[in-house]
Amino acid sequence: MRQFFIRKNLPILATAAVLVLLFGTFSLLFPNFLSLRVIANLFTNNAHVGVIAVGMTFVILSGGIDLSVGSVLGFTTIFVATLINHEVPPVVAIGLALVVGSAFGAGMGAVIQVYQLPPFLVTLAGMFLARGLAFVVSAQSLEIKHGFYGAVIDFGIPLTEQVTLRATSGIFVAVFLAALCLAHFSRFGRNVYAIGGNASSALLMGLPVARTRIWIYTLSGFCAALGGIVFTFQTQSGNATNGLGLELDAIAAVVIGGTLLSGGVGYVAGTMMGVLIYGTILTAISFHGQLDSSWQRIAIGGLLLVFIVIQRLLTRAPAFGRSN
Amino acid sequence: MSNAPASIVSRLAQSRLIWPLAGLALLLLFNLVFDRAFFDLSTRDGNLYGPIITVLRLAVKVMLLAMGMTLVIATGGVDLSVGSVMAIVGALVAFLAERAQLGFPGLLAVGLAAALIVGLFNGALVAYIGIQPIVATLIMMVLGRGVALSITGGMPVRIEDAGVLFLGRGFIAGVPVQIILVLVVFLLTALACRKTAIGLFVEAVGDNEVASRLSGVNARGIKLLTYIFCAVCAALAALVSIGDVGRVEPDRLGQMLELDAITAVVVGGTVLTGGRFTLTGSLIGALLIQTLTMTLVRQGMPSDVAPVPKALVILAVCLLQSARLRAQLAALFSKSRRAVS
Amino acid sequence: MKHRNSSLGIRWTALALLAAMLAAFTGCKQESSTGTDTPRPGKKLVVGFAQVGAESDWRVAETKSIKDEAAKRGIELKFSDAQGKVENQITAIRSFIAQGVDAIILAPKVETGWEPVLKEAKAAKIPVVLVDRGISVSDDSLFATLIASDFVAEGKMAGEWLAKKTGGKAKIIELEGSPGAAPAIDRKKGFAAGISAFPEMKIIAAQSGDFETGKGKEVTETLLQQFGKEVTAIYAHNDNMALGAIEAIKAAGKKPGQDILVVSIDAVKAAFQAMVAGELNCTVECNPLLGPAAFDAVEQALKGGTLPKKTVVQDRVFEQSGAAAELPNRKY
Repeated sequence: MRQFFIRKNLPILATAAVLVLLFGTFSLLFPNFLSLRVIANLFTNNAHVGVIAVGMTFVILSGGIDLSVGSVLGFTTIFVATLINHEVPPVVAIGLALVVGSAFGAGMGAVIQVYQLPPFLVTLAGMFLARGLAFVVSAQSLEIKHGFYGAVIDFGIPLTEQVTLRATSGIFVAVFLAALCLAHFSRFGRNVYAIGGNASSALLMGLPVARTRIWIYTLSGFCAALGGIVFTFQTQSGNATNGLGLELDAIAAVVIGGTLLSGGVGYVAGTMMGVLIYGTILTAISFHGQLDSSWQRIAIGGLLLVFIVIQRLLTRAPAFGRSN
Repeated sequence: MSNAPASIVSRLAQSRLIWPLAGLALLLLFNLVFDRAFFDLSTRDGNLYGPIITVLRLAVKVMLLAMGMTLVIATGGVDLSVGSVMAIVGALVAFLAERAQLGFPGLLAVGLAAALIVGLFNGALVAYIGIQPIVATLIMMVLGRGVALSITGGMPVRIEDAGVLFLGRGFIAGVPVQIILVLVVFLLTALACRKTAIGLFVEAVGDNEVASRLSGVNARGIKLLTYIFCAVCAALAALVSIGDVGRVEPDRLGQMLELDAITAVVVGGTVLTGGRFTLTGSLIGALLIQTLTMTLVRQGMPSDVAPVPKALVILAVCLLQSARLRAQLAALFSKSRRAVS
Repeated sequence: MKHRNSSLGIRWTALALLAAMLAAFTGCKQESSTGTDTPRPGKKLVVGFAQVGAESDWRVAETKSIKDEAAKRGIELKFSDAQGKVENQITAIRSFIAQGVDAIILAPKVETGWEPVLKEAKAAKIPVVLVDRGISVSDDSLFATLIASDFVAEGKMAGEWLAKKTGGKAKIIELEGSPGAAPAIDRKKGFAAGISAFPEMKIIAAQSGDFETGKGKEVTETLLQQFGKEVTAIYAHNDNMALGAIEAIKAAGKKPGQDILVVSIDAVKAAFQAMVAGELNCTVECNPLLGPAAFDAVEQALKGGTLPKKTVVQDRVFEQSGAAAELPNRKY
């Protein structure tokens, strides 16, 4: 039974093992690395990427891709900031932003599904559209001056006298748990995996492929907008240039976590680990502090490579050996 | 009687190239109506000169990248590292030209060797260790940018080598050298793909890797080859680019160009999941992107909101390719024709 | 049987690979930190520097200045390159706080968004010195001091110089920085203010060159083909784009610096070389060598001294006439 559990979840366990191994090694190398503060920071710093990556996981699981998430995040931040500075109550502004993000995603999903267009191009167009619209709202950086924001940012559950759990990490964890339930315990989740595995088989089996696809992109748009909201909590401001290149970070987190780009294979938990591993590497590099710009990039690439190769070699278990 | 024109149209419509061509045609039509000067062609010192020539020249970088990317995508992969390869080759060539006084043949050899190494690395990771192409090339993208930065310490370097400058700015028989270069590369690649079995193998690997391997195709070797070819194309793109600009900025060279290359390939008609590919389509895709960029600049579209019309054009080009839309439009037309008669 | 052995072998290889890479990583650290092993009287200061990236020679010069100054003063510098992302800068600051550095130097990428993380630094009693760009926060005590150039003033100086040179009459192509970037927005504003008194000075086209040479050349080529003889001047938000514009002018068969005037900002060495060659007409300085001033401020802040909230670096205007004399002084 235990062997079966291990074999079934080998990719995720391997990923987790390497993550722990790397984190442990850095803890030995750098003083203060193994601390609650660093771990809490990992969640706080990457909350926005995490939320977006969770939405992206569903898209990639279904065999698609969503390049617009970074731009939707940027649009959301400047949108919310502008609304709040025009006396719109923050809760309304946030709600509106989530609706807009979801509608945007739904629109892209509909076009992809109805006209059978490649997700890459449609979401690329979405990326340009959202970015351009963000600049239409405002090209300047806008501060959010509202008591509500101050309150949310100051809100925290003190874990020790130095470390508090912030609202942003809370949102990240909540989204992650919700996504876990959605992926593994709901019909929607099963449909997503089915479509990613083989869309035509799914259709022949009578699964609601069209509806599910549109919902997938709606979910991704929602998560992108939510990521934007989280980002406004991180920075208490909005800027149209936020999120440039973030889609690649989100995709990276998803695929590093073990999800296949071709779809049908992967775990939401893997994405969480992908986010954490990237955050861990970045933290390790700033703890090291002696690398110059070029070597920092080489180190990031190198450490990622180590992680990926080991993860691959560990999952190249006898169970998968036959196909090789 | 009414069937003859329909059959020609339907045959044309079945060629996949028609749709990126239609997109390009629409853009050119727009310019014909609103910006006649776009088509001004003249000669200066015996060399062709005009916006069309500039579009072709500026599109060469992405054309070269797109050709390499086409083969990689055809095998079911992707190469995100091409921008960083450009940066490595550009920085290396500029650095060696300045410090080691290497001549053009030496520079060319070094540049291609560097690309070969990166291509081998990518290909080995993907084909032999079995890492997902997006992950392997993403890693190379980050790593490669770091390597490029370390070559010049982040400082820009001027290009003075006559050979490289000729590649980027020279003319042969009045035609810019890069355009001739890209045509030569295209012809050689197309010949290799269609007149030998390579193209068939690439498509087979992309279509169904296991089946191709069982049929005796060296799937791993083919994949490795495509990543090497892609990196070599990136090296050529780098030489053209630095020769044109005359200066290498190691952090900026090639930045974001991988996105343009993939877009060109997908617009051109090759699917991201792999299988059948079209080199011509990728060239048209690259041309379309560059024409769009130039049109927006000439129309005075402010740079920060320019992404909006860009998005709409891409969407329009996509929709043109959609069989469903065409069916809907056809139904609409036949209804109106019946209503008239 | 053979199968299991080979997979075991693979796993050992994997671990060995991991060990090797991490040894290399540690090795890097030890090489450069041998300096800190020598005992010194008093504790050595540790300062964290959160830099934006390495996107231009100007930025690299700024980094070098800070690193050199830290080495000169015997301060251990923890350097972080954010690769152009605000969130990475925020991560870096948090990590500096977690490491317990004595002070933080921040070169902010954007004007807003620092309030929450600076509050954390304040709570940890770590002074923050801002360089090169200002930020807007509700509570001024969140940062110790700001040492920066005034981008708006730079743009204005460029505009005023051009107005004087052309006698108030020009048709200008403006090469803008990256969309949404603070220096781009400010330098545009400043230039517009500088030429506002001269109705005959018109900006006939403004497009983004993304602060880089290649894009600057591309855009200028396109615009020169469109406007032809109309163009009399080009204003670029930074030298890199101006250098690209110069190449484009040459490719169009005209003489940069004579047929078309070229004005830019930053005053990097390459710009001076271009001025000596007669191709660039004027460049406004934007001094990146903020190391000495930054560390003066850090040491003052740690001693508990009072600091002026803002120190504006005086920028100078350089023309062709003074270029050759000034060239040897340009360190970047």
